[in-house]
This record gives sequence, structure tokens and C-alpha cells, in this order.
Amino acid sequence: MILTDIDRVTAAEFAAGTGWEPKPEGLCRGEICVPAPTALRPDGTVDVAVAAARLGMPMVHDATHGLHALGPGSSSGHQLSTAVAADPELLDSDLNPFRLSRLHGRKVLLVAWSSY
Amino acid sequence: MDMRPADAQHWIERAAPTHPSLIDTSHQTGHLFGFINIPMAIWINEDGVIVRNAESASIERSPLRDAEISESLPEPVKMLLTEVKNIPDHSEAYRAAIVDWAHRGSESPYALAPDEVIARSRPRDQSTAEATACFEMGQHLASQTPANMDSAITWWRRAHDLDRSNWTYKRQAWTLATTPEGAEENDLFQDASETYGTSWIRDVVAGGGGANYVVGPDLDPVVG
Repeated sequence: MILTDIDRVTAAEFAAGTGWEPKPEGLCRGEICVPAPTALRPDGTVDVAVAAARLGMPMVHDATHGLHALGPGSSSGHQLSTAVAADPELLDSDLNPFRLSRLHGRKVLLVAWSSY
Repeated sequence: MDMRPADAQHWIERAAPTHPSLIDTSHQTGHLFGFINIPMAIWINEDGVIVRNAESASIERSPLRDAEISESLPEPVKMLLTEVKNIPDHSEAYRAAIVDWAHRGSESPYALAPDEVIARSRPRDQSTAEATACFEMGQHLASQTPANMDSAITWWRRAHDLDRSNWTYKRQAWTLATTPEGAEENDLFQDASETYGTSWIRDVVAGGGGANYVVGPDLDPVVG
């Protein structure tokens, strides 16, 4: 997740970028909530440093361009913390948004390929 | 998984598939599902649950595996073909497993329980997680107008150092350095020595050769 202003990340933006929803009870994904009492500020923004530390997300900083990048959580020790498939927004071949959830109800063989 | 959609689009147009062909310009499927090379695949059931985690997904034997390595070939070509032949070939068994799952669904021995899927997913430590952040930073900088390619390359080098077995991070970055935009074919050798100080064959050999190049599918039945 790229952060252009680390002090003004809303809860919705954090949830969209990481899959973890900041709530009063903690940082939640599905039924799992990680306690993080100070992560959600009263004004609805997220203390990203606190949230990242609780979730084991590394954060790197490019001072020249004023950017931060937040990596995925590593606290579970595995790439997957749930078998429920994530639902990223991809593009179809006409460059229209396409989410994998559109294929629910069918078996999906998701094959990664590239031009390289 | 292509940063530049046009790089993928012309392959899709040529193949004219009947199934959805989706473009991931940010490599997010890499860290979300565990794709670190291509081809890799996951299986998702009708309820949106992964029943097989990311693993090498070749379904037919590459003709390069049976190519004769003539002594007269240039040394780089001989090295490349030698390591390609060393890549384990699971294509026939993997294709059969897919067909079995397609017919039998959850009754297929190749469809895994959620706990098994999680346990088999790629280990993620702080280093590989940081590599993802570095790669994304590089993508963001390279995608700006005008592109900050020098900065992007610095971040991508760091990502490569942090996660040496992530071939999509390497090959995407190398290709942008070695293949002009709009080219019909990529540089087969992916020799990015000038920009990254390395190449596909050098990194394959450094990683133990073709035998270690793919995440081979574990198709043994689950016991217990």
C-alpha cells in the first residue's frame, strides 16, 4: 500500500489497501481482530505506525518523493492467513475493473502468467 | 502480471481465450496468493475458498526440455538450455490433478482443507514482506509521469535482495530494462547486467540451478 500522507490515512483507505479494517475493538479481518487500542484515532484516521507494528507490516520510506509503502503482514509466518480468497480488483482485457468474486459459484483455476 | 497492460493485451488477443483473462498491473496477486514465478496457479472453489495454494502450474511439457544442446551453440544459449532441462517437470501429473478436481470437486484428493492450504502457503517473514513494500514503491515511482525509473530501480534492487526467490519481482524489473516498450518479443536471456548487475541465468545458477527454480506441486495424498 502506497501512502502519500502517512498522517491522513482514513480507516476506509487503510482497509482498502491492507484488508484490515480499523475498528474500536482492533484491526479486524473477517472474524479475526488484533487488539490495537491507539491505532484508530478519534478523527477517524489511522496511526499507521501503530497499526503496522501490531500487524507485523514493514514500512519503507522514500524521503526524496515523500512516500511510504506498507508491506503485507508477516506475523502469521505464512503468505495466507485464511483460505478465503482475497478479492483484488484486476482488469479485464478491455481494461475494465474485474473482481474475482464475480466468478463465485464456479470453480476457478487462477493461473498467473506474464509477458516476461 | 504485467505493469504495462499493453504487454499482456497483445498476448491475450493472439490467444483469443474463451475464459476471463485478467491483468494484474500491480503484482498484487503475488503477495495475496503466493505467485512468485510464472506459471503458477491456485484453485478456488465455488464458495470463493482456496483449495490448493500457489504452485508451479505447467500443464504441458516445454519443447525446450527436449531440445538438443549442440556444442556449436553460443555458451549463453547452452547454459540457458541446460538449466531449463533441469527444471522439474510436473506437467502431466498437475494437469491430471486439475481434471480430477474439475470432475470430483471437494471429493478430489487434490482439493485441500483450509488449514492445509494455509500451512502449505509460502512462508512470509519480515524480509519477504519488506520486499513487497519495496517492489510496490518501485512500481509506483515507475508508473508516474514522467517515470522515476532511477528511483524505481533502486527500490527494485532492494526488493530483489530481500526476496531472492521471487522471480516475478526480478523478471518484471529486468524486462523493463532489457526490452523496449512495444517490442513484440521479450529479451529471452533477460540479461540485465548493465542495470541490475545480473541476469536470469546467473541468478538461476546462484540459486542452485533449474532444479530449484519452481515451486513444484506436492500431489501426494494428505494423510490424517
